[in-house]
Amino acid sequence: MTGMTGLTVRKRLLGWLADLALILYFVFALFPIAWMVILSLKPANQLFSTYFSFTPTLGSYRTVLGDSEGIPFVRFFVNSLVVSVGAVVLSLVVGLPAAYASARWRFKGSENLMFTLLSFRFAPELTVIIPLFVLYQKLGLFDTYVGMIWVLQLVTLPLIVWIMRSYFADLTPELEQAALLDGYTRKQAFFKVALPLVKPGIAAVSLLAFIFAWNNFVFPLILTSNEAQTVTVGALSFLGGDRPKYNLTAAAALVSVVPPLLLALTIQRYLVRGLSFGAVKS
Amino acid sequence: MGWRLTLRPYVLIVPALLLTCGILYPFGLGLYYTLFDFSASKPQPDMVRLHNYETVFTQDAFWNSAWVTVLYAVGAAAVETVLGVAVALLLHRSSIVGRVLEKILILPLMIAPVIAAIMWKLMLQPSVGVINHLLKPFGLGGVQWTDTPTGALLSSIAVDVWVYTPFVAILALAGLRSLPASPFEAAAVDGAGWWYTFRRLTLPMLWPYVLVAVIFRFMDSLKVFDIIYALTEGGPGDSTVVLQIRAYLEAIRFQRYSFGISYTIVLWAVVYLAAMVLVRHLGRIQRKAAEAK
Amino acid sequence: MDTHVHDRRRFLALTAGAAATPLLAACGAGFGGGNKKSDGSAADDVTGSFDWRREKGTTVKALLNKHPYTDALIADLKSFTARTGIKVEYDVFPEDNYFDKLTVDLSSGRASYDVFMLGAYMVWQYGPPGWLEDLGPWMRNSSATEADWDQADFFPNLLQADQWSLKDGTPLGQGGQYALPWGWETNVVAYNTDVFKKLGLKPAETFDELREIAGVIKRKAPGAGYDGMYGIAVRGSRSWATIHPGFMTMYARNGLHDFTVQGGKLKPAMNTPEAIAFTQDWAGMVKQGGPPSWTSYTWYQCSSDLGAKKAGMLFDADTAAYFQAVAGASPASGKIAFHPGPKGPGGSLATNMWIWSLGMNAKSRKKSASWLFVQWATGKEHLRKAAITNNHIDPVRKSISQDGAYKDKMKHLPGFIETFETVVDQTKIQFTPQAQFFDATTSWAASLQEIYGGQNAKSVLNGLASDLASKMG
Repeated sequence: MTGMTGLTVRKRLLGWLADLALILYFVFALFPIAWMVILSLKPANQLFSTYFSFTPTLGSYRTVLGDSEGIPFVRFFVNSLVVSVGAVVLSLVVGLPAAYASARWRFKGSENLMFTLLSFRFAPELTVIIPLFVLYQKLGLFDTYVGMIWVLQLVTLPLIVWIMRSYFADLTPELEQAALLDGYTRKQAFFKVALPLVKPGIAAVSLLAFIFAWNNFVFPLILTSNEAQTVTVGALSFLGGDRPKYNLTAAAALVSVVPPLLLALTIQRYLVRGLSFGAVKS
Repeated sequence: MGWRLTLRPYVLIVPALLLTCGILYPFGLGLYYTLFDFSASKPQPDMVRLHNYETVFTQDAFWNSAWVTVLYAVGAAAVETVLGVAVALLLHRSSIVGRVLEKILILPLMIAPVIAAIMWKLMLQPSVGVINHLLKPFGLGGVQWTDTPTGALLSSIAVDVWVYTPFVAILALAGLRSLPASPFEAAAVDGAGWWYTFRRLTLPMLWPYVLVAVIFRFMDSLKVFDIIYALTEGGPGDSTVVLQIRAYLEAIRFQRYSFGISYTIVLWAVVYLAAMVLVRHLGRIQRKAAEAK
Repeated sequence: MDTHVHDRRRFLALTAGAAATPLLAACGAGFGGGNKKSDGSAADDVTGSFDWRREKGTTVKALLNKHPYTDALIADLKSFTARTGIKVEYDVFPEDNYFDKLTVDLSSGRASYDVFMLGAYMVWQYGPPGWLEDLGPWMRNSSATEADWDQADFFPNLLQADQWSLKDGTPLGQGGQYALPWGWETNVVAYNTDVFKKLGLKPAETFDELREIAGVIKRKAPGAGYDGMYGIAVRGSRSWATIHPGFMTMYARNGLHDFTVQGGKLKPAMNTPEAIAFTQDWAGMVKQGGPPSWTSYTWYQCSSDLGAKKAGMLFDADTAAYFQAVAGASPASGKIAFHPGPKGPGGSLATNMWIWSLGMNAKSRKKSASWLFVQWATGKEHLRKAAITNNHIDPVRKSISQDGAYKDKMKHLPGFIETFETVVDQTKIQFTPQAQFFDATTSWAASLQEIYGGQNAKSVLNGLASDLASKMG
């Protein structure tokens, strides 16, 4: 009997230890963000001289959202939304069929085609940026939504194709075969049977792709100017000038966390369950 | 059956390929530029064939950068994998604490890395930074994080770990939740210990999922730029001048365009090869895992 | 042919490269366009009497760096448009990325911006490939330039700093005028008067004193109520920007040179015995009285430490201290004074400077309108307004530096005007003009970091010199 209680005590103790370890990691993970919140609430003249006690103000947010400082942040924000959503949607439209095809059929060169898709992530942005700049100027894509959405395919498409491919691969083909026997066409089987089953995966991978598109820095820096510039470049603009205004940069960065955060919360139940390949099996 | 069926997968893949092929053109152009000696001081370039690459490979600077890049990428990817999997395992227990924390796991990923690095630099600044302030009671108020070659490299890796561990953790957690229950039940009936179950069941079955994350992370950290540029600018000395920093300095800052781009092509080739090996490995273990199920 | 699949990609890439040739040819020489210089300047097409409204209805595009000077310019753009009928569209980018943006734009050979901000060092890089318009013919053409613009009103050192023959090693002040000074910064010492009073210190007059005072502050200030204070903030990151402010100023005051020119060839001079001794002393000063984590210090860290009362002194741009010193800007506001800094052994106050200049894209198709804009932006009226109602301090024009309203505005900052007037005549670009400036100074900064890290100064600097010599060869 005592052995039993000893075991439960040990188990509970281990549970606590596990929770403690988790909390430690999250302190590391969340502290910088908490610190950014604090920074964003500090008045500019107390930025570097105070740590936790200061007179909080929402002035930084007013400055950032009020387009003062000559930086049209709200417009950049809208731009970011348009290009990131556009990039993810386009990647889904062309990426899902590709992922499906490569998961369903083993065909000649399938591995190599998939690898080629992945390999676009390898090219350092620096290799392509000047040729792209010239090309965009010539084609009229410079500083446009279309141009940004296209170039962000480098970021979003490989991620979506590669992760969705694993989902489709884990999906048993029997369901679709049954649908085909029921008189569905191949197309219907894909849209009505396969796609709904991987919906959670789509939600989750879209979120990741959206975040990476949203955070991209080099492409918007070089390939846009005033019309299509995005928040990441905009947030850094506050650091220039007379004094480094970290409070404004922090506020801008936190404001630009809102859309991905809302998206994440909306699809939270898919996020981890969704990426779980097993959830769509059986 | 027939040609329509054979062609179907290609038809489905073609749009995705076409879309990315647009990028192949500038890439090819970049590659082509490296055969010349374009630079601000030589605006009428001559074809120099592979001379830029010869220079790259015979420079000590290149080998130093290559070494630093490998150290960084292996270090960052390894820590992120171990930490990410550990966090996923802990969250998988679904304790009350875990269920709450799981919801905010993704937050660090949402701060753009370039901004994250700037904020970390501010936090690590010994004079006014909050980290030294908090460590002062422990007698560590004077730590100069980025002032030595080792310190600078470790600090950069730490920021990378901060940003990207959630990426690995999320994919690993997804994997854990998808593992079939029966082998674990059987192991429990047999009275297998935690360590045995972990090593013989969890880890092998989880590995394919984790490996996808590791591939993405390793490839991306070979190309690291933002984090190091914001945190150390490559210093002190040449200790954190990774390949992308060197390429950026040469191509943009020093305006030796062709030469700088040659660096990125070499880097591209390295990442390509590394990914090829990893993806082959992934394919093998995915098949193995599938057979095991 | 090897039909291995991965070779196919290589093949594809090569074909794409071959197909790229027309594009290469189509954008001039491909890389930033030609070096062909026609004899005539577009300025010669402007004839007749001067007319501000000559180009009305035109739109000029400007690329600007986020800066108080820029804010002042943008605030006053309405008056330019009212006078000329020219619209100005502008993009503002943060300082850290501004030059990347400009460089990519110029090197691609496009003329997306007609006018942009640049420093004198950038002329050395952008001038030789023919990216910058020579403004000389415009300035000399009385049909294009209003008599009131008054070239003689600029501080001559500043005007000369943007004038160069485009040949490595030749002195400034000869050849084309590739940009015009618009706002600038001189590098001097700013110090916290409170600390100086409490510790009974006086601003250093020699480099030895400066090093000593820096050490004294670091040892004593924390015990005297200045928690965590060190002696002197100077930049230390691995960047060209570390060399040019305080370090180059003190280096020049010691009579030292970056390069010597022998028979038209540049010879690195950072490793002369005197330069080695000075560099070692500088690194020693940082070790004993400088900021912790110095190798990460850019002007952000330097200036914010002065403002947060963590640095007793700052040897950097006067503007970096000014924006911490103005009322309400920081805890040290009202307690910051200015001093020219230590003299060299021979009493030299040679000072290096940064000049925010305005340049014109040689490829611009709106040169006449762009010149009107540059002329207006560097003219007396705008600069006076910008200096007095905004924060365009450190005037490039003599008339404004002597203006009563400007002096009134600056007089609450102890020593600012006196310091400015003391060093202004000895302030110039102390570097040898050459196209590899950024490479040379970045390596120099890396060497400085290594010496600070404990490596032998002589061997590090010898290595630097031979490395640079082979690159320049």
